[in-house]
Amino acid sequence: MSRLSQFSSEIAAIAIIGLSFLIPFITDSPFAYSTHNLIAVAVTAAFSVYIMLRMDLMTFAVPAFMAVGGYAAAIAGLKFGIVDSFFLTALSFVAPAVVALPLGILLLRLRGIYFVLVTFLLTQILQLLIFETPDLTGGTNGLVGMPATTIFGMELADNKSVLLLAIGVAFAAAIITALVSGYLRREFAAIEENEVLAQSLGLVVWRYKVIGFVVAAGLAGMAGFSLVNMLLTAHPTSFSPQSSVNYIAYTIIGGRGSMLGPVVGATLLVWMSSIFSTHGEFSEGLYGLLIMVVVLAARGGIVGTVAALWRRLTRNLGSETSAAPIVGTVKEVAHER
Amino acid sequence: MSADGSAGRAGTLEVNTISKNFGGLRVFNEVSFTLAPGELMGVIGPNGAGKTTLINVISGKLAPSAGSIKFDGRDIGGLPFHTLSRLGLVRSFQQTNTFKSATLRENLARAIRFSGSPPSIWGKLDGMLRQFDLAPRLDVPSDKLPYGLQKMLGLVLAYATSPRVLLLDEPAAGLERRERQQVDAFVDAARADHGCAVLIVEHDMDLIKRLCPRILVLDAGRILAEGAPAEVLARPDVIAAYMGIVEGEEAA
Repeated sequence: MSRLSQFSSEIAAIAIIGLSFLIPFITDSPFAYSTHNLIAVAVTAAFSVYIMLRMDLMTFAVPAFMAVGGYAAAIAGLKFGIVDSFFLTALSFVAPAVVALPLGILLLRLRGIYFVLVTFLLTQILQLLIFETPDLTGGTNGLVGMPATTIFGMELADNKSVLLLAIGVAFAAAIITALVSGYLRREFAAIEENEVLAQSLGLVVWRYKVIGFVVAAGLAGMAGFSLVNMLLTAHPTSFSPQSSVNYIAYTIIGGRGSMLGPVVGATLLVWMSSIFSTHGEFSEGLYGLLIMVVVLAARGGIVGTVAALWRRLTRNLGSETSAAPIVGTVKEVAHER
Repeated sequence: MSADGSAGRAGTLEVNTISKNFGGLRVFNEVSFTLAPGELMGVIGPNGAGKTTLINVISGKLAPSAGSIKFDGRDIGGLPFHTLSRLGLVRSFQQTNTFKSATLRENLARAIRFSGSPPSIWGKLDGMLRQFDLAPRLDVPSDKLPYGLQKMLGLVLAYATSPRVLLLDEPAAGLERRERQQVDAFVDAARADHGCAVLIVEHDMDLIKRLCPRILVLDAGRILAEGAPAEVLARPDVIAAYMGIVEGEEAA
């Protein structure tokens, strides 16, 4: 297998997000702008869930880390007048990552359902913190009137530039996700599949889990910044504990097995909810139903199922001629390393 | 065997009066032995004697409730699983235990990467993979292998970490008689290539007699006997403790 085909899903995910930079130039419908902006935020947040699922960890803490990133950017903009979008994007990654480091060291000893439960509580606790610190976060009113960000000194004030920034943030998040999940592919796969065996072979499992958790928190923070920048407001309702279900739904329904999954899942589901926006309150029920369908009938999600169908189709077409060579020598891998 | 002569020697595993309880249940009590570098020792005993728990405690999967374990003269009792593996104390598992969806090649690559084994290990693995008929299946997902080959792969994964002490938990369990010869070959190769000590927990008495110059009999959580197989297995108390299982093995 060549290096390139091994990372085809990562490359495809980055390429799709890259192509979406064209959207602001082919339409100027406000509806399309707001939908695609929400999609960009959703994709970024779904990458956070994706990284955690690579280690077989389910997290409900995405909105908590989104809030840390979003509020950090809003406070920097409103209170310190910092509006450079590169700086704010980096800040929105670093702030939640710093918060996640000690939390991860503490919480990643927990397994399975206990970890899931604690991540849900984290989001609840953070909501409470926001409400209880009005001087810093604006409390229940939130922080309103976020100034327009800039890139190379140019102001990004209109809808088009705000959308371009959201896509840029999603693009950066995709590259971070691809680098981390690609570089730590063996470690993550081993932790996902058989943690005990990995430990017995010498892998320091908790260290890689902490790395994954910290990066996932950073990605969520970037999504938070993107959302705050779109709404020009950092408000507690944007980071509700219930919204964590959406990000999990995007990833699982799209397909947790490859990086294309969260991109496809977030795009389709956000687009669908926008189309049916008059019934937006039903979207979480719809997501719940779809998750059940995926869990019961199509574990690979949309991307996994399509890929499996495609493999079956191509195998039937060329089954006689394309039999893979079975014999290989161990040396090949030695070179690959 | 006393620990005095070899205390603190590099590569020596010294187990001193260790005990393990699960709540009120005492699994084993005050077990002591020394495993010299390169030595081969068998541990036998009826089901429930505490053999697998002993391996779990020595390999760091569980912490001992009391007593001390030293390796290279350093106290290692209660250190994390991965730390002990990195020190060279590596175990195999009673059931098949591989990265199921990964190919055999990927399984090996992970073992080498996680353990920090030198890449030159691939050269040594080549011969072993051919010998165990794993070489033609390098690109097959490991859960598609027959049971016996999965079991052998589990052993080869431990080998790939370049161990200094191998702890084998019933390596022959579930294997056909023909396949059991491969466990002998594996142990020989591991000792020849790595110079490692090997501790084998096993029910297959023939295999134990073939391989181990020294055995330890565990019964109800304590050491009942220790010594050369011929003399230990002739002792009436060992026969009494082991009766049912010895007969069962012969009949199988």
